[in-house]
Amino acid sequence: MNRSFKIGWLLAVQALVGCSTPLPPQELLQARSAYNAASKSQANQLAPAQLDTAKQALEKAEGSFKENGDEPVTKDLAYIANVRAQIAVAEAGREQASRNKVKVDHDFRNSQLDALDSSKTALEAEKKARAEAEKARKAAEASLKEIAAIKEESRGVVITLSGAVLFATGKSTLLPIAQEKLTEVAKAIGDQGNYKSLLVEGHTDSQGSADKNQLLSQQRAQAVRSYLITQGIPSDKIRAEGIGSSRPVADNGTAEGRANNRRVEIVVEPNR
Amino acid sequence: MRKLCLATVVLATACGGAAVPQETLTAAKAAVAGAEVAGASSEPKAALHLKLAKEQLGKAEKLIADGDNEEASREIDRAQADADLAFSLAKEATAKKEASDTQEQLDRLKQHSK
Repeated sequence: MNRSFKIGWLLAVQALVGCSTPLPPQELLQARSAYNAASKSQANQLAPAQLDTAKQALEKAEGSFKENGDEPVTKDLAYIANVRAQIAVAEAGREQASRNKVKVDHDFRNSQLDALDSSKTALEAEKKARAEAEKARKAAEASLKEIAAIKEESRGVVITLSGAVLFATGKSTLLPIAQEKLTEVAKAIGDQGNYKSLLVEGHTDSQGSADKNQLLSQQRAQAVRSYLITQGIPSDKIRAEGIGSSRPVADNGTAEGRANNRRVEIVVEPNR
Repeated sequence: MRKLCLATVVLATACGGAAVPQETLTAAKAAVAGAEVAGASSEPKAALHLKLAKEQLGKAEKLIADGDNEEASREIDRAQADADLAFSLAKEATAKKEASDTQEQLDRLKQHSK
């Protein structure tokens, strides 16, 4: 085929089809619809520059279509316009995401501050609770002082109740007034709460036989222990021991001294 | 058939004129490299357009070697557009991931402080 034949043939074909406008190529149709979609999307607000670029690309493709019909150059320009429209959409998506991130970052910082605040509040509540517990402990101690002698020893806080208040002479049955006092003692100990165990010790004066005194002191300590258990002290936390007359605190030679020696001591053994 | 004839005519005339589109070729290659750095290979849609851009650049280089600079120039323009899209899609994916990661952190913080 020589060249002049080709051109002649081409002219003949164009004469046949040339009058009717060619249909827009697939690429141009796709570019139009891609641009149409992009111009209705958030790209309008979020990527206006890229959307404008896409618009210009489409106009260029349309211009080429008018001028050259569906030649490859038109298809290429339409292809590019289609891609430019997609770029506008992607850039809008990117901008939206980065705006979201800025907002979430902001929320994150605020939440951190809130968390800090609430942990401060929690700390203050704990401080207050501790102060109240300390106050309750002091109040319990003070009310105990009114009914019994309190002293601190290395083995713990020792609550001393006079034997005369608790028992009739020679007996190991609690007097009604003793029950009242022990109820308060149990309450005070319960309020304070913080102890490992309780030891109830019975003590007598030196009158009478040592065996008898030992037995009596044991029975009295038992009686106090049993009563405290009825008042809510856990039985596994409280022991009773008879000491007899072996640990006097006063002179057994005087009536007053002997009265002081007849006693029950409740040792509150602390947590170590 | 008409298309073929037209292409032949275009080819016949192109041989004479247009210069090697070196500038746009270099720019398009840079755009491809930029898209790769932005992570286009690991984002499916971006990877597709990255691949198209590379193919078109390959075609363009072949056309230049054959002396068809005009058609090469059009391939380069397509490649440039596809590389730009690959870049934008990769950046969009990165931005979305960063946003959702931050959201996750926020959710965890809120869960924690409940």
